[in-house]
Amino acid sequence: MAKQDMESKTKRRSSVSYMTKRSPLDAVIFVIITLGFIIMVYPFYNSFLISIVSKAQYLKTPFMLYPKDVTWQSYEILFRTPTLWDGYKVTLIVVFFGVLYNMFLTTTLAYGLSRKRFPGKGILMNLIIVTMYFGGGMIPSYLLIKKLGLMNRISALILPTGLNTFYMLIMRNYFQSLPASLEESAKIDGARDLTILFRIILPISAPVISTITLFYALDRWNDWFGAVLYIKDVKKYPLQLVLRNALSIVITPEMDHVLKNSIKNKSPMGLKMAALFLSMIPIMCVYPFVQKYFVNGIMVGAIKG
Amino acid sequence: METGMISSSRSKTGRPKKSLVREIKANKHIYLLILPAVLFYLIFHYVPMYGVTLAFKKFNFVKGITGSKWVGLTNFKYIISEPEFWNAFKNTIIISFGKLIWGFPMPIILAILFSELRMNRYKKVAQTVFTFPNFLSWVIVAGFVRAIFADESGVYNALMTMLHLPQKSFLGNPKHFRSLLYLTGIWKGAGWGSIIYLATISSVDPTLYEAAAIDGAGRIRNIIHIKWPAIKSTVVLLLLLNIGGVMSAGFDQIFNLYNPTVYSTGDIIDTYVYRLSFERAPRFEVSVAVDTFKSVINFMLLFSADRFAKLIGERGIF
Repeated sequence: MAKQDMESKTKRRSSVSYMTKRSPLDAVIFVIITLGFIIMVYPFYNSFLISIVSKAQYLKTPFMLYPKDVTWQSYEILFRTPTLWDGYKVTLIVVFFGVLYNMFLTTTLAYGLSRKRFPGKGILMNLIIVTMYFGGGMIPSYLLIKKLGLMNRISALILPTGLNTFYMLIMRNYFQSLPASLEESAKIDGARDLTILFRIILPISAPVISTITLFYALDRWNDWFGAVLYIKDVKKYPLQLVLRNALSIVITPEMDHVLKNSIKNKSPMGLKMAALFLSMIPIMCVYPFVQKYFVNGIMVGAIKG
Repeated sequence: METGMISSSRSKTGRPKKSLVREIKANKHIYLLILPAVLFYLIFHYVPMYGVTLAFKKFNFVKGITGSKWVGLTNFKYIISEPEFWNAFKNTIIISFGKLIWGFPMPIILAILFSELRMNRYKKVAQTVFTFPNFLSWVIVAGFVRAIFADESGVYNALMTMLHLPQKSFLGNPKHFRSLLYLTGIWKGAGWGSIIYLATISSVDPTLYEAAAIDGAGRIRNIIHIKWPAIKSTVVLLLLLNIGGVMSAGFDQIFNLYNPTVYSTGDIIDTYVYRLSFERAPRFEVSVAVDTFKSVINFMLLFSADRFAKLIGERGIF
């Protein structure tokens, strides 16, 4: 507390110093954040080390500060294994077509619901919002997919998650916030709703469109549970599920023996961690550049509420 | 933030008296435009909702949902007599509240710390690092967790051995499994959770700080008298939303981390529903009954949370 008093005294002398001078408090905050920083980064670092050191090294010292006895064998093995790349292929298909489908449904509905009024709008809105809180659940959805004949098809990973109501509402609120005059002048020029949407509204809505696109892409990239339910064929597993299965393999002593013969000095844990890294690299590379769009999204969602 | 916007979404009444048919005709382009999305909701949301009737039926694999026989409350009577259900129910509530107690304050603390950190470049890098795990799937995070907390080859226990401290099993001991859930939940979500508070803090009028500085307020005072009041209503809203979501204790996280040895403390309703549906002898109707039970409680909670929010003068959920 004494420290604090001193601090405020110096501040009274000149209010400018509040923004410039470093105080002990700054040191404390710096230390706390840095400790947090280490805790955040360590799991990544640790897993990466496991993926590149030899088995003997890993078993001797699971706790490593720096790599010793480096081998890239895990990565070489994985590059030769098709499973992971099949997963990549499925995920890319799901993300590409899935996001297109998402954005089509989302923008059309959001735009429609942003129009001032039309008969049935209120009821429709309520029926849509109900789905945010009530759903059939796992089994009814499963039976529906079965009935539709989508079992074991990649489209089963795409079609059921066509629209996220929350994202749609964010977009609708954005459309509503656009000046009405924009659209009126277009109407006077004889433009129809569809033309207005594509020619006028969408181009000036780039910020919200890109944010929502990214949200959808990420959700699709990270999805694995849909495939647990609907996909039986391992070749049609998305990346996350391939990884999940690879990570959850329990290594029994007999299996370890088999692996030993085939991979020589590479631990199964090393392989698992290498697989983990190979499936994480795309997001790691993209995230720093798209972070601001995600932040925008959360702000739009919060402020417009 | 998830649902705060809905209060503004109700349609306004008082439309001019035109003939309904003429009005529908005038808006036909809009109907056409929203038709695909409406079909989507019908097929993928409303058709499964009908499937909830299965909770009151005995499922017949051949005849499907409509052809199955009504059995009244038999399925509910069954789940009430099932200790595994009550175990999952209890765990769901304990884990949810545990997450609330341990995990909910973290983003707030983090946001305040970040707002007080002056090194701007470091702050940016740190924020990227802190928020990143939120964008990873629990599959990947569970991989990290295993590498650190695995019983024999994990880093944690290796470190404990080096320091001559007792080893602990987080993934295989029911006693510690919940702590692991809280810990990993914070690791993954706290950074991203802090963003919404940070945004609110940064929208505070800077002249307030100047005025406070002239009055001799230090930074701690600024936190208590300026920053905290600024985020308070966001805190309340998010807290209520969290309470409304108590019945969902985090399926992805637990499903990727748990195993039979920790069912006694780690099995939640959602994971129990999954096992009822797809493991051993599947019992679809029981699984739907459990799910329905959960939905009803969930809805009641949300509803009361909303009422409570309005009672204390905050924005509601609906």
